[in-house]
Amino acid sequence: MVTVKIWGSLKEAAGGRSELRVEAANIRQLLQRLGAEYPRLQPQLKRGVSVSVDGRIYRDAWFTELKEDSEIVLLPRLSGG
Amino acid sequence: MPLDHPQDLTIKDFKIVGQRPLRPDGIDKVTGRARFGADMNAPGMLVGRVLRSPHAHARIKSIDSAKAEALPGVKAVVTGADFGAVKDGLDDGMLDVLVNCMAQDKALYDGHAVAAVAAISQTVARQALKLIEVDYEVLPHVLDVDAAMQPDAPVLHEEAADESVPAGFSKNVVRRYEFGHGDVAKGFAEADRIVERRFKTEAAHQGYIEPHACLAAMGPDGQAELWVCTQGHYMVRNTCAALLGMDASQLRVTASEIGGGFGGKTTVFIEPLALALSRKAGRPVKMTMSREEVFRATGPTSSSSIDVKIGMTREGRITAASGELRYQGGAFPGSPVEFGAMSAFAAYDVENVKTVGWDVVANRPKQAAYRAPGAPMAAYAVESVIDELCKQFDLDPLSVRLKNAAVEGTTSSFGVTYGKIGLSATLEAARAHPHYSAALGPNQGRGLACGFWFNFGGETCVSLNVNADGTVGLSVGTPDIGGSRASMCQMAAEELGIAYDKVRTVVADTASLGYNDVTDGSRVTFASGLATIQAARDAIRKLCGRAARMWGIDEDAVIWEEGYAKPAGGNAGSFEPLSLAEIAAVSARTGGPIAGHTEVNADGAGQSFATHLVDSEVDPETGKVKILRYTVFQDAGKAIHPSYVEGQFQGGAVQGIGWALNEEYIYGEDGRLQNPGFLDYRVPVASDLPMIDTVIVEVPNPGHPYGVRGVGETSIVPPLAAIANSVSAAAAVRMTHLPMSPPRIRKAIEEAAGR
Amino acid sequence: MRYEAPRKLKRAVALLSAESGVARVLAGGTDLLVQLRSERIEPDLILDIKRIESMHAIAAERGGYRIGAAVSCAALGEHAGVKQLWPGVVEAATLIGSTQVQGRATMAGNLCNASPAADAAPALIAAGATVAIAGPGGRREVPAEAICLAPGRNALEKGEIVESLYLPARPERSGDAYLRLIPRSEMDIAVVSAGVSLSLDAAGRCSAARVALGAVAPRPLRVEAAAAALIGSDLDEAVLAVLAAACAAACDPIDDKRGTVEYRTEVAGVLAKRAAVIAQTRAGGAA
Repeated sequence: MVTVKIWGSLKEAAGGRSELRVEAANIRQLLQRLGAEYPRLQPQLKRGVSVSVDGRIYRDAWFTELKEDSEIVLLPRLSGG
Repeated sequence: MPLDHPQDLTIKDFKIVGQRPLRPDGIDKVTGRARFGADMNAPGMLVGRVLRSPHAHARIKSIDSAKAEALPGVKAVVTGADFGAVKDGLDDGMLDVLVNCMAQDKALYDGHAVAAVAAISQTVARQALKLIEVDYEVLPHVLDVDAAMQPDAPVLHEEAADESVPAGFSKNVVRRYEFGHGDVAKGFAEADRIVERRFKTEAAHQGYIEPHACLAAMGPDGQAELWVCTQGHYMVRNTCAALLGMDASQLRVTASEIGGGFGGKTTVFIEPLALALSRKAGRPVKMTMSREEVFRATGPTSSSSIDVKIGMTREGRITAASGELRYQGGAFPGSPVEFGAMSAFAAYDVENVKTVGWDVVANRPKQAAYRAPGAPMAAYAVESVIDELCKQFDLDPLSVRLKNAAVEGTTSSFGVTYGKIGLSATLEAARAHPHYSAALGPNQGRGLACGFWFNFGGETCVSLNVNADGTVGLSVGTPDIGGSRASMCQMAAEELGIAYDKVRTVVADTASLGYNDVTDGSRVTFASGLATIQAARDAIRKLCGRAARMWGIDEDAVIWEEGYAKPAGGNAGSFEPLSLAEIAAVSARTGGPIAGHTEVNADGAGQSFATHLVDSEVDPETGKVKILRYTVFQDAGKAIHPSYVEGQFQGGAVQGIGWALNEEYIYGEDGRLQNPGFLDYRVPVASDLPMIDTVIVEVPNPGHPYGVRGVGETSIVPPLAAIANSVSAAAAVRMTHLPMSPPRIRKAIEEAAGR
Repeated sequence: MRYEAPRKLKRAVALLSAESGVARVLAGGTDLLVQLRSERIEPDLILDIKRIESMHAIAAERGGYRIGAAVSCAALGEHAGVKQLWPGVVEAATLIGSTQVQGRATMAGNLCNASPAADAAPALIAAGATVAIAGPGGRREVPAEAICLAPGRNALEKGEIVESLYLPARPERSGDAYLRLIPRSEMDIAVVSAGVSLSLDAAGRCSAARVALGAVAPRPLRVEAAAAALIGSDLDEAVLAVLAAACAAACDPIDDKRGTVEYRTEVAGVLAKRAAVIAQTRAGGAA
């Protein structure tokens, strides 16, 4: 199980919680499990997210390994100028 | 030869990295030989032009182009209907891009494209535009972000809001974002003082000197070529292919030299129209925007309205911070308010913090990314309130920022715990600089502000070819908007151990390399640089392999040092080292060409922080500001080419000066843009500016082999705030509305004096 | 569109008179070409006056200077005689556009473009300059303030062309100055502007004055009440306050992208005060 922090406006779609526990060994599994367990997160997951793992931000990296004690943070999909 | 993982930071004694060689594109640019978007021509080429809505908001009842089509010399006319076939297959984001490029049922802003023509000359094209009859039903419009949020505001789209927007809001409110942690109510209760203020900023354009331009040529077989000024030609290819219903492989896009982008060229405007016209006319079509079109129909950044509340103890510790940010992003969803809300307090270690961002649509051109999109306005509001608290407590603004500065291990306001970051180092550098303690005269003020930007990596593909004469050709897929070809040459030369001028870097077309993300997010020196280093190491592995075969020893027994393959040690045997040139010269006989490749989705772009220090003088009678002195302190991780790093620092500061003092979109009552030109859209001119002093701070990014952090965007985050703090000090009144044009400053001074 | 570049003034007048469509005179072209490129105008005839030799002359005349209509602002800025006699006028000429623009732009063209914000206007009006106009009916000479009638509309009749400007002679102990407010430091258009010309008597008291304002009304203004406030005074604080108030009273500006009614009205007085003090200093008076 890993713990993932979600941003404030997603809380409502996740039963009011800001930290979710899911069974996932990598980012792909994390996003799949979040979508399956919290269907109301799906519109945002479909629009795209970034995932921060231990301070390193990934835009698209399915196979990034997640550890039990990793700090995992869901972020809006990042872009720039 | 082990291939380093980028995480294994290898700080070494650089030979070429950190030097300041001449840029390879320099001579072409100063002699006029460089080819920009409008510099390409083709036989039989037509001129494409766009008819634009004069109304801020209007239903398009009908378009009759028969007279224009009948005009001799007109070869094609395209309207929204020509894109009808592909519309259904597009996702929301792509559909918005299409509707922005060519209006469908409504014109959503002054300047919105409603039709395009291709003709044999400018004159005929101009006449043709006049012959197109558009029947508009003019609708009420809304321009201001706060006005657009009102329940009775004119509505742009019936169904643009997503599930994040609670019920009961105007349909113009399309997204809501919330970030933060802790308990702000508890934090505010712990404060000795709380300051809460509202700020407004006006829309600012990126102000690139080169207008959008392209040359499209599509044959009857559907194969097409596009020459275009862009920050990302792969993005152009994918977007245009989708909007025209083409296979990506049928469209080859070549990026021209680029006269500035700053984020504004990370999308398409005229490119799909040029391709559609070329397809219809069967001839190449060149389109070049006028400056007026650039202002009216390409993306400035959002205007904003922001409330910030900060609580502080009398010792200067921030106990709680909250912000509500409202950004209008033009006629479509997608203002960068989430980045504003994420970055607003990102420079500080705050226990109780909350931000809410509202994305709002209004009858203005669709915003486009502009350098650290969304962050400068948020930093302006936050740093202004911190400045005010420092003044109220009579605390040193630099010490207060150091006391609250985010450091390694701080959990940021957007949830991520920072690794190694350099904010404190930039503040310490500022404190040590003579600027910080220099004397000020009457009507002068000093402002300090900090800024943060995420920085990104992204998809990157690089190819490095070793030529038989010992030189190297490097192909990258990221347009060079800030000297990146020079930096790539430096990194390749550094790895290979050859001279800088033995490497030539080109920006390859979309058929020559795999996908590359747009040049954005300050990512190129980081991501293309990382890929270049890896490609060079890939080539080195092959060079060592060839040497091993020539010596008849194991590949593992060969090492690469300073441009030479050498036996790894005594056991490997005794051979004269072989240079890159010597191995390359016989490559045909040792297995063929030698090349290195990288395909990567780069992550680990280190966050970048900056501190800006600025002195200004205000003429109290006229409200006019003079910037007297400006110093930028920014963490670059590792400066590959210090001159171009300094250039990025200076450029960000200068664009910030324009945004802070005079740049703004000004609309009339009729919703038409009043200042679509550089005369009345006032970017700073050289004589407005002092020399922008720079201090490069280097706190290496563990995510890059040389420690690089992107530098292009962070530099525009602190200036609005730093200048506002400086001007507020000089004018002795808090300036809460940007730009601080002379009339606004004079009015604030008068009001403060009770006149 | 036809382009003509006659060598004789007479021929120029004839071409202009004969044109049935829209005709535009091309001197420096720094306004005309911008209007053409932005497609605001589509003239039938463009008449270039730069081949007419007399148009390029700066000649001493009756103690003053006659300046040909095609003399560039840069050339004017390098003319020692004009600079010494009318520094405020030259200062206006060298504020227009940029260094490059000044190499082409002319004071006469700036005046004929008839912008209420033209830099040439307040300085020339304050200087009491006159404008020589050639036309099918002969030559006439009018004061500089008579040229701009309304934004974009000048006083030239069909077939008429400005031939030269005349800056008059002036008594000893005279000075003039021109100031404008622009948000930038150069390459901009006046939000408000003020020109002041004055003469001092042997005691340093103002004996004659002219005050003009730009960008505060549909046309550049000569403000006689402001000048009257200066005459007989030594420009002390109280007098300057009256000057500023008279300027504010004369303003009839608009709110637009460049400034507000309130701002223009207030700052007109500020600039007039500052210009008056500079003119006084140039005239050798109290600084």
